[in-house]
Amino acid sequence: MTSMKRVKKVLLALLMLLCACFLVADPEDGFYIVALIVSVSLTAYGVRTLLYYFTMARHMVGGKSILFIGIIVTDLGVFSLTTADDPKLFLVVYLLGVHAFSGAMGVLRALEAKRYASPSWKWSLLGGIANLTVAVLAVVAGLFLRSTASLSYLYAATLFYSACVQLVSAFRKTAIVYIQ
Amino acid sequence: MQMDFHYYATYCAAVLAGYSHEDSMEICYSAQFVDCCSRTLLSGLKAPLSAATTQLQLELMNARTDPVGLQDITRIWASFHFLPGDLYAPVKKASRLYKNKVRLICGPNGALLKDTVELARGGSLQAAGIAMHVLADTWAHRYFAGTPSLVVNNTTYWFYELLPDGSERPVAFHHSPGSPDDVDRGVYNGSIFQSSENSIMNLGHGRAGHLPDYSFICYRYLPAWGDYEEIVKNNPVDYSYAFCQMIYALRYLRGDVPVFETGQYDMETPAPWGAEIRRILEKRQPDACADWKALGEAISGREIEDFDLGRYQAEYRRASKREKDDTFLGRFFLAAMAQKSMVTNKIFKSGNLLAGFSVDFDKKGFRGIRDFVKLVEAQRGGRTHD
Repeated sequence: MTSMKRVKKVLLALLMLLCACFLVADPEDGFYIVALIVSVSLTAYGVRTLLYYFTMARHMVGGKSILFIGIIVTDLGVFSLTTADDPKLFLVVYLLGVHAFSGAMGVLRALEAKRYASPSWKWSLLGGIANLTVAVLAVVAGLFLRSTASLSYLYAATLFYSACVQLVSAFRKTAIVYIQ
Repeated sequence: MQMDFHYYATYCAAVLAGYSHEDSMEICYSAQFVDCCSRTLLSGLKAPLSAATTQLQLELMNARTDPVGLQDITRIWASFHFLPGDLYAPVKKASRLYKNKVRLICGPNGALLKDTVELARGGSLQAAGIAMHVLADTWAHRYFAGTPSLVVNNTTYWFYELLPDGSERPVAFHHSPGSPDDVDRGVYNGSIFQSSENSIMNLGHGRAGHLPDYSFICYRYLPAWGDYEEIVKNNPVDYSYAFCQMIYALRYLRGDVPVFETGQYDMETPAPWGAEIRRILEKRQPDACADWKALGEAISGREIEDFDLGRYQAEYRRASKREKDDTFLGRFFLAAMAQKSMVTNKIFKSGNLLAGFSVDFDKKGFRGIRDFVKLVEAQRGGRTHD
């Protein structure tokens, strides 16, 4: 990884930590910040897809589909910015989808690791259970308790975790030695 | 390729190249073990994780696709399963990243293949086995890259199987992991379309399913990188070249041939068995283990033991720390790290950072991933850089 990429990762991690702190400090208003983050992320993803088309996918057989995806997602991102009044359901579905999938993967991965007698299975299982717990909490907080603050805390926790992962990744070694 | 070729056909090639039954068994075991040596397995053995030569499906699903994760994936798959054919391939006007990805496309008879075989010379039988795995896969996996890339590895609906009677039929890909391919009806498993460039679904030949791994199959399709030019892939012919090149390379490793040149094949040695080899390669079956095994036993007159993943694990576990490198698996791990180190270095030197950075030990001493200290110790007797 180049130094510039490491710097980018550290900056992104700091931004995530900042957002997490803001959400914890003011969970009610923070909820709209979350909606804003998700909408801006969607728009940024759309723009990135368009850039991807012009730099890479235009060379690809059938690459036009990437162009269409980019246009649609950008449009969706801009549209979602205008409908941030009630993003609760959107956030619940987001948290549920991402963490339920990651949780299921973690548990499956743990079972596989256990089959190979690898001691890492406990960590995989722990990660899987944690993710599944977040998914369940998202449903409970959003749909049953209708607690905006709880959802914000939950999202802040996931942001905090992602920031830590980014920081660890920024300082990981990537060079390997070559012996002639 | 699958166990039928990496294990049984490699055994046949080793025996034909002049190796004893016992040595041939070690070579073919090592060749097949490349498809099993995952981080999960290494972690269970408390072995260096950087010796991983493959990633399990669930490891891949869990793998991060940030730059560091992608470099890790690329080091494994480009070094052992999709050896790049030409790291300096001319690519018409395109972005740097696009060029770097296209230059990782696997192909036979590249400069890296020569480097791979030469690296194994004078080394262990495990190194020879690893080299044979890499060599064979350059034929099976050609036209796909060992890095996640939609723009290189994607396939479209324009995919037709060419049948032995001269007719053809469209290949129906579906995504149902675990369910077997239906060779008779032409229904095959493939990874699902993911529009993300670095999605793990776009690694290697995932989009084309197991088709490149079947020796009998012939197909035509539009590769994503091919500018709408169709490719016809004739696996029986390619696999035949792979087999003859393995014999040639193994004869070089034994010292019977002074120099290894790409584009050279030993067609004469297997000639007496040519008809049977052709029959096996062209037989429409998803698994040719039984046929290759029978052929191997007919050639050597000895029984070929079935592949047993745990065969050498107890020996490695029992060995003391100092003795581990002299066990079967210890030698395999060192050979795997040497191969990974060499390929990463060549990719890095070509100006391509997709496999990560490479530090020349002779010039800069030890830096980077600690696992490779073991490789330095093995090759330099623990001497530190001065």
